[in-house]
Amino acid sequence: MAATDIQPEPVQIDFTKELLSSSELFQRRSRSHKIPVRGQKEFLPNYSVQQKACLQKTLDEHWMLMTEERLERAGNLVNAEWIPEEKIVKLQSPAGKFWQTMGFSDQGKQCLFPEEALYLMECGSLQVFYQDLPLSIQEGYETFLSAETVTFLQYQVFGHLKRLGYVVNRFDARPSKQLKRKWSRSPSFRLCAKKSTASPEVSAGQHKGEIKTSVPYSNLETPGQLQRQQTFQDDALKSDPESDRAPERNWWTNVSRQLQPDSLQTSEHCWDFSCIFFPDLGSYSGNRACLPPPDPSLLPGALQVSECHLAHWHRNIHLKEECWSKQKWQRDQERNRCSINDDQEVCRCRNWVEYLELLEKRRSQQHNERPTHLGEQEVMPLAQPGKCSSHRELLEQVSIIQSYDLLVGNSRLPGSDHWRITFNVYQPDTEFKKSYPGKPYTHLCVCSFDGPVPDLHALKELSFQSGDVSVTFAVVDHGDISFYCFKEFKLPTDVY
Amino acid sequence: MDWNATESIIQSDEQHAESSECVDARNKREEEKVENQTVNISLCGSTPLLWRAADIRKCREEVGVIGTLVGSLARQPRQNIRLGRPLELLQEEARLLVQTGKATALRHKELSENAGSRLKAVELYRARLEQSYEEQCALALEERKAVLQRVMNEKQNVHKDNEGAELAVRERLESLEKSFSFPRSAMAIQLYTARAGFSHCPEEHAFLAADWPMPRDERSETRFRVYKDLRSKGFYLTTAGKFGGDYLVYPGDPLRFHAHFIALCLPMDEKVPLCDILAIARLGSNVKKTVILCSPQDTSDSGEEIEEEVVYSSLQWSGIV
Repeated sequence: MAATDIQPEPVQIDFTKELLSSSELFQRRSRSHKIPVRGQKEFLPNYSVQQKACLQKTLDEHWMLMTEERLERAGNLVNAEWIPEEKIVKLQSPAGKFWQTMGFSDQGKQCLFPEEALYLMECGSLQVFYQDLPLSIQEGYETFLSAETVTFLQYQVFGHLKRLGYVVNRFDARPSKQLKRKWSRSPSFRLCAKKSTASPEVSAGQHKGEIKTSVPYSNLETPGQLQRQQTFQDDALKSDPESDRAPERNWWTNVSRQLQPDSLQTSEHCWDFSCIFFPDLGSYSGNRACLPPPDPSLLPGALQVSECHLAHWHRNIHLKEECWSKQKWQRDQERNRCSINDDQEVCRCRNWVEYLELLEKRRSQQHNERPTHLGEQEVMPLAQPGKCSSHRELLEQVSIIQSYDLLVGNSRLPGSDHWRITFNVYQPDTEFKKSYPGKPYTHLCVCSFDGPVPDLHALKELSFQSGDVSVTFAVVDHGDISFYCFKEFKLPTDVY
Repeated sequence: MDWNATESIIQSDEQHAESSECVDARNKREEEKVENQTVNISLCGSTPLLWRAADIRKCREEVGVIGTLVGSLARQPRQNIRLGRPLELLQEEARLLVQTGKATALRHKELSENAGSRLKAVELYRARLEQSYEEQCALALEERKAVLQRVMNEKQNVHKDNEGAELAVRERLESLEKSFSFPRSAMAIQLYTARAGFSHCPEEHAFLAADWPMPRDERSETRFRVYKDLRSKGFYLTTAGKFGGDYLVYPGDPLRFHAHFIALCLPMDEKVPLCDILAIARLGSNVKKTVILCSPQDTSDSGEEIEEEVVYSSLQWSGIV
């Protein structure tokens, strides 16, 4: 267009065409709300009279629907005022039913976000005034929608979902209280809590895209701390299964003492249940007649529990050896087929000492047979012979690329401004409460077909922001909206 | 309905204030405008939108610009099957409209703060509202009267010999006229879809002919040339993001016909990986549409503007038996 250097000139627009007269207004108060059904589409125009008539009819209906103006009784309208400084709409008359799912109170005043107000304007339930004049829907689009509030693209998605009945509100990147409460119950909560307290600037800057400038130096130390925390925790977790396997479990006082410092320091009321074991009486041999008293810190105040004599309980336990079926026995035999008696060299041993010598000899032989370039140098084989007892273990040892969880450890990725979650979406049929919205059905990220596909970095960042709620991408293509989501998929590793 | 009148009064006031030559010039300009630029594309961000029903109709009927309706339907706003104004245009559609001289792109000014004119507009708006109320009140009374009359007539027909009936009717009508009240809450109010005008006095709704905020890269250029060529061949086009292409190509009005082609715009010398081609061809055959690759021929070498031509190639699976 060559209009750039021409003086911007006022354009006269005939506004009167679409204004209804009083009689029109009055007549149309009771009009039908039916939408004509469109018939089946045809393949090729054949210019027949019938086809032309059909097209004309559809077109007429189309124009009729499109031309129709919005009309409401004054009594059904809620009035509101646009406050441009705050970018919100303040209600001037009591809100309608929409208040159940929309709006918020600010100093006793009922307010709406611009996108909510615009949607309600389109629904014919709200009239927004600015300086005592009502805004048309066009003016609503032009003044309410901006990068600071909600963009046109985002509003299209908002309107689409609202029209379908979903409850949609803005996504707040700060984790809500209930979310925190939930996190604190999950096993990894300590790590996460540490993260969020250690680097508030990082998490705050993340969605504003100003991260690099505002991170103080002290925060750069956190990865080390985190790692330490992580390894400590890993150790704690690892120790659990081992103690599990031990023939005589050190439960009760001993074990819980070992792990106490960690779990008690962080939160006294949160017991780490993975460290408190239930006594396994079955594996106790007869010579231990009593259980030590339980750790007093685990008991309610005044309660005192002394040693517990087992003999009485032991009688109630089924201690007979399990009768295996013949098949199972055979299977077991097959598995251990190479009996020690088949070994010729072992048979030649005359006494215990010779047998031990033989074992020692074999062990050193095995050691010597191993190629020297393996084991002693910097470059090591991924799996050592004889170190793996199952396929799974072997696979775990030889895997170079570890399977990767989108949610783990990305708080330090630089935030990008382009990708962010815009809306929380709640399902229509649930009973929604604004004061306690609960967990959203999904989080929505609005993007356009003209833009790029989110890369792994963006996905990771979004899923981190989103927590345990799924992220759905609403892709807008000139008014046409499609919803996509990326699902994490774990390859099955169960191999026998 | 005095709104038209009031507006023209304001206009004439204005014109008095101006010098006479200026008025002439302006009138001339306006006449030209009425002929040339009747469709107003308003921009929301960088998205071209049409708001007036007449504009939308004109674009579809005269230029074959379809666009997409993106607003809630006035008649039944809470559904997505049929939508209402505004109509969102593709950048190519908007560009074609502007190029053919059917439209001007406008960016509106911020909501005006001019207190004086604002005050006048508010007064006008209130007066109009009041007038509308009174007229609707009268209409409601008329309607009530008509209903009463009809009911009485029916009764009269049943008891033909009743002498006092007519008198009773008259009495009832009189009392109705005295006691009738039309509650303000029952009054119908129009919620304007397009800019209604009274929030801006004529002299201040200075829309700026906007700098076209359209990207002018190679891709948009290619898309536009393909769009223009296909449109000139009589096809109707809509957007085809869901089908992985640039346009869906319809043989007739998309309201009544299925799309036949998925158009993919590619510059002549662009290299495309074979698997991309296979993917879109497979997708096209799945939705029973033919994929066509559209490449505008390079005209930049031959200095002068020659007849623009686009090369089309269709993709088809061929089985060799």
